[in-house]
Amino acid sequence: MKKFLAVALGVLTAIGGFVDIGDLVTNAVVGARFGMSLVWVVVVGVVGICLFAQMSGRVAAVSGRATFEIIRERLGPRVGGANLVASFLVTVLTLTAEIGGIALALELASSVERRLWIPFAGLAVWLVLWRVKFSVLENAAGLLGLALVGFAVALFQLGPDWGELVAQATRPQVPAGEPVPTYWYYAVALFGAAMTPYEVFFFSSGAREEKWTAKDLSVSRANVLIGFPLGGLLSVAIAGCAAVVLLPRGIDVSTLSEITLPVALAGGKVLLALVILGVVAATFGAALETALSTGYTLAQFFGWSWGKYHRPAQAARFHTAMAVAVLVGTLVLLTNVDPVAVTEYSVVFSAVALPLTYLPILVVANDREYMGDHVNGRATNALGLVYLVVILVASLAAIPLMIATGAGG
Amino acid sequence: MSPRLRRGERPFPPDERLPEPPRPAGLVLDARLHLLDRQVVDVRGDPVAIVDDVELEERDGRVVATDLLSGPVLATRVFGGRPPRSRWHRVAWRHVTEVGVVVRLGVRGETLDVLWVERWLREHVVGRVPGGRHDPE
Repeated sequence: MKKFLAVALGVLTAIGGFVDIGDLVTNAVVGARFGMSLVWVVVVGVVGICLFAQMSGRVAAVSGRATFEIIRERLGPRVGGANLVASFLVTVLTLTAEIGGIALALELASSVERRLWIPFAGLAVWLVLWRVKFSVLENAAGLLGLALVGFAVALFQLGPDWGELVAQATRPQVPAGEPVPTYWYYAVALFGAAMTPYEVFFFSSGAREEKWTAKDLSVSRANVLIGFPLGGLLSVAIAGCAAVVLLPRGIDVSTLSEITLPVALAGGKVLLALVILGVVAATFGAALETALSTGYTLAQFFGWSWGKYHRPAQAARFHTAMAVAVLVGTLVLLTNVDPVAVTEYSVVFSAVALPLTYLPILVVANDREYMGDHVNGRATNALGLVYLVVILVASLAAIPLMIATGAGG
Repeated sequence: MSPRLRRGERPFPPDERLPEPPRPAGLVLDARLHLLDRQVVDVRGDPVAIVDDVELEERDGRVVATDLLSGPVLATRVFGGRPPRSRWHRVAWRHVTEVGVVVRLGVRGETLDVLWVERWLREHVVGRVPGGRHDPE
């Protein structure tokens, strides 16, 4: 019974924690421009994140080493250092986008300028990192994030032509009037949003925070394999809402109010309030995860003491690094950049940085010195290799596509 | 520890003859494989540093590892060069009790010089902010 509860809680937090500002924005933008024709990318991305999150969790649980310690050990200081710089910058960019997302959601709820909310959002994120226990912050944000289910409710209430949506999703084609490179640019962005590298740093370090051992593997596998696909369904619902309401009316997504417009249309104020609560929780949770990930990557590369299970004073450099990252993100937002634009860039750069994170995990998951009998099976390795090729292609194509399409123009 | 390797060059000649192990045979460690870039933990298991480099010394014609190095010396492994000896942060080899997936020391990390940044931040910044010395709730 206790185990069942642990699985249920883990699954619920995985669903709520799956969607972050990157998924919200990218899915809505894509839905509004391409209908359901890019849903296949979400499916590919969800399978990929399940595969690698589960792998990194297993490595952390069995060997007791988190991802970035292994990256440094395996790749040496030069390649590992390049990896650190890239991953760290992408994670800070994502953190910036998440803090901006919190402010946008609060603006939508209160009609108070987002620039007034930004310092409070940054401060709140730091306070929670400083004082709140790991399990509490993870579970609370994940459970409240479940309110995003409002998007699925809205989709049903809108009563769309389901056959048409399914046809768009299963027989994807580039809609008339959209250039082909733009279609592929958003495919890469969507893939980057689903597979953001910080999720793997967070997952493997979280396994250490909660002191997982090989015994906890079945629980973690259930969490990932059930929770992430259901979270992916929420992503698809967001795209679906945009495809039903925004696409026919030719509305482009440039702020959060357009993303939530279908919800307001379908469910009125109550559902809108619920979804805004979900957006605040999801972006807040993701801001915590990305901020922790900046600390984790640095601390693991340099061998500092890290982890929320310590008092801040016992992991002084770790906490200083996180505080600086949150401060930098907040200051960047205060320069009046558009959080939605920051989000769009963050998911594309995530796609660029993906191979750096996922290759070392695949290598170490096959190393018997670390893993003993828990090394990857053949099927996992085969799938992992296929994904590595996909990730590499997406990573190499991202920047050229960005230039060719003028960032989606 | 050694001059920078060129790209594509092996760290050892392919026909290198390895020294005969001492009899009775002990644990043979490859400094590159088993020491460099490994996590160092103290006697209680708390992280201390990563082995950024190893200081070697010649004694009676034999090369002996005297210290594990950490800190700014890392930059030299990325960019080449050599920091002045006064900037090296050392952990004496005699403190090492076990070399495995991590390098374990037999002393408390608090006593070591390599942790001065951590100590400085704790005393002057993190420990002074309210709540910095309390368990998270």
